[in-house]
Amino acid sequence: MSLSNIGNLMYLYMDEIDPGEGTDAPEFLIKASVKILLEADGRNWVPVIVREVGTDQYEVIGNEFIYAIAEEAGIERIWCIIADSNEKTIELTRILTGQVTPKVDLSIASRDEIQAAFQYLIEKPGSFLKGVNLATATNHIDSAHRKNWATLDPITKLKCGITRGKKLDALKEVFYVTPSALKPEADESISAPDLKSLTVKQLRDMAKQQGLSRYSKKKKQELIEMLMDTK
Amino acid sequence: MDLSKLKQALQILPDGAKETMVARVFVTELMVLLGFDATETVPEFSTGNGSDAVDFAFRKNTDDEFIKTQSNPYLLLEAKGKDVNLSENSAQYKKTVSQLKRYLLGSNCQSAQWGIITNSENIQVFRKHGRVIHPATKLLEITIDNIDEIILEIKKKIDNPHEALTVAVYNNKGGVGKTTTTVNLAATLASLGKRILIIDFDPNQQDLTNSLGISPNENTLYSWLVNKNEPRPDKLISTRKFRINSRFAIKPGNVSQFDIIASDNKLLSFGEDKLLQLIDNRRLSQALESFRNQYDYIFIDSPPNWRFFSKSAVYASDVVLIPAEHDNISSLRNAVTVVKNFIPEINKLRKDGSPVALPIFFNGGSITPSQKLSAQRAIDEIISKSKKDKINPMDLEPYFYPKFTRSRKDKSIFEIPSYAHIASAAFSHKPAVCSNRKALNHYEALAKEYFLQ
Repeated sequence: MSLSNIGNLMYLYMDEIDPGEGTDAPEFLIKASVKILLEADGRNWVPVIVREVGTDQYEVIGNEFIYAIAEEAGIERIWCIIADSNEKTIELTRILTGQVTPKVDLSIASRDEIQAAFQYLIEKPGSFLKGVNLATATNHIDSAHRKNWATLDPITKLKCGITRGKKLDALKEVFYVTPSALKPEADESISAPDLKSLTVKQLRDMAKQQGLSRYSKKKKQELIEMLMDTK
Repeated sequence: MDLSKLKQALQILPDGAKETMVARVFVTELMVLLGFDATETVPEFSTGNGSDAVDFAFRKNTDDEFIKTQSNPYLLLEAKGKDVNLSENSAQYKKTVSQLKRYLLGSNCQSAQWGIITNSENIQVFRKHGRVIHPATKLLEITIDNIDEIILEIKKKIDNPHEALTVAVYNNKGGVGKTTTTVNLAATLASLGKRILIIDFDPNQQDLTNSLGISPNENTLYSWLVNKNEPRPDKLISTRKFRINSRFAIKPGNVSQFDIIASDNKLLSFGEDKLLQLIDNRRLSQALESFRNQYDYIFIDSPPNWRFFSKSAVYASDVVLIPAEHDNISSLRNAVTVVKNFIPEINKLRKDGSPVALPIFFNGGSITPSQKLSAQRAIDEIISKSKKDKINPMDLEPYFYPKFTRSRKDKSIFEIPSYAHIASAAFSHKPAVCSNRKALNHYEALAKEYFLQ
């Protein structure tokens, strides 16, 4: 039998658990839930997700809301699932418990992904993107050359009603970009216009990755020529 | 063709044979007869949609061997055991069909044109065109005696695929934007490089013909349909080319060019009774046969009502696109009549399981949240009434809420908002999508949501 507790459901003492990031749930939800939890003999059928940080020491990584309810109820022990401490696990847990919105890579996202993400953002209560037209935004972004975007800023130039500021910031909730020119495996399909959209620093990084020398003092156009010559 | 091995396979498969046994004994022999050998087969093919894998993928070897490159499959097959009941309307049949559809739409299966489900007792073939999947055969029951015919029928289809998807744009209710949809969708697909033919099959209104600034013909469409054995009339097809406003064209210098079969005044002068004495509802389909490899899409603009012209249009089509209006309950009820009564009537005649209705979409109107809610309530009522219908119960959910599942209560319906310029484009004799950027965006979204993969 393994000595590791990972994957187990355990009945842990509250005071051995660090509350982690905590929850911002309103007081009403906590207090009203306490009452119902106590009526069910204090058993939390939906467990808190924790990771082991030392002997008999744990930290909450998911379902902070449930932890907060148990704390408010003054319960001594709480049912928890022990997860591993991998960064990916923590991120996944927070997505699966609905605490964090998953993000998609806009450099490679499909049309369906872009459309679904925009629909989510537009229909959210209090959204800054209320006036954005879903069909227009989806079409314009889908047909843009996104693969070398270093930031989301080019979206503001696509004429889909998204301007710098609150609207663009709202997009950061669901999108991120990783320019493919910076990914070592993708350099075979890069053309001059793709390179032009990169910054000088990025071009230098590329040159370095390709083992070229004397790139540090070159101007942008010279860098592009040098990179194209190596193909 | 030597079917002895396949027949033997059918005989030796025990009752309740599991999937692996059916796959090994029956499917292997079946696919050899359909012309795919071992190097043209990939078992457990990953479809590219999450962790999905379809039982088998097939493609004839060309320059490469499919088993090595495992790219661009042509046909997918999902096998089931005899313990899975694949008879019509069984829950397991429906589940298997939706499983196959999901596989066909996977990103690694864009090239796939056919899907087969079978458990050695039943078999059904589906055709895929872009995003559209429709039956290519009915759900057939396999016996020792009819297996020859079944193999021949399937082989004939998969060896001679059509390039065109034929779409009837139809709602029994008038004024829901059938013609606007036909023209703009066709122009949008044409601007994306598709080869398009549209047919104005509403001689009473001739809206489509007029809206593009064409004058109706005399004795072209009529004689094409009636005089079967004579060559096709010269003026039957006219070509229209529209420049798309260069400020928002998809590519610079982009044009939208498509072919039209305009309306024919002679069809109007004949009464329906007279027309039916000369041709029947199947004639249009037959006449279109020669075009099915010349175009990517054939759109038929049909009149409201359920008589000769609309019946012929639906009979000739692979799928039926039904525009509706969110604030027009009778457009919704009429859409239901099309799905529940008219299409099944044609299915009985056609004997290949098609056409099928695509999910309805809302055309025109800007929908406020409260209007959306009341439209949703009306639809919910229609759906639950149809489920409880004693004589002809039918699950209408997929036709209204295509994204709805038991775990995801997604009731979204595709909508094209109304803009004055879409309707008024008829005055300029130009599809709205060629001069209005918003219109183009919306119709492009419609094209991508329903037709293109």
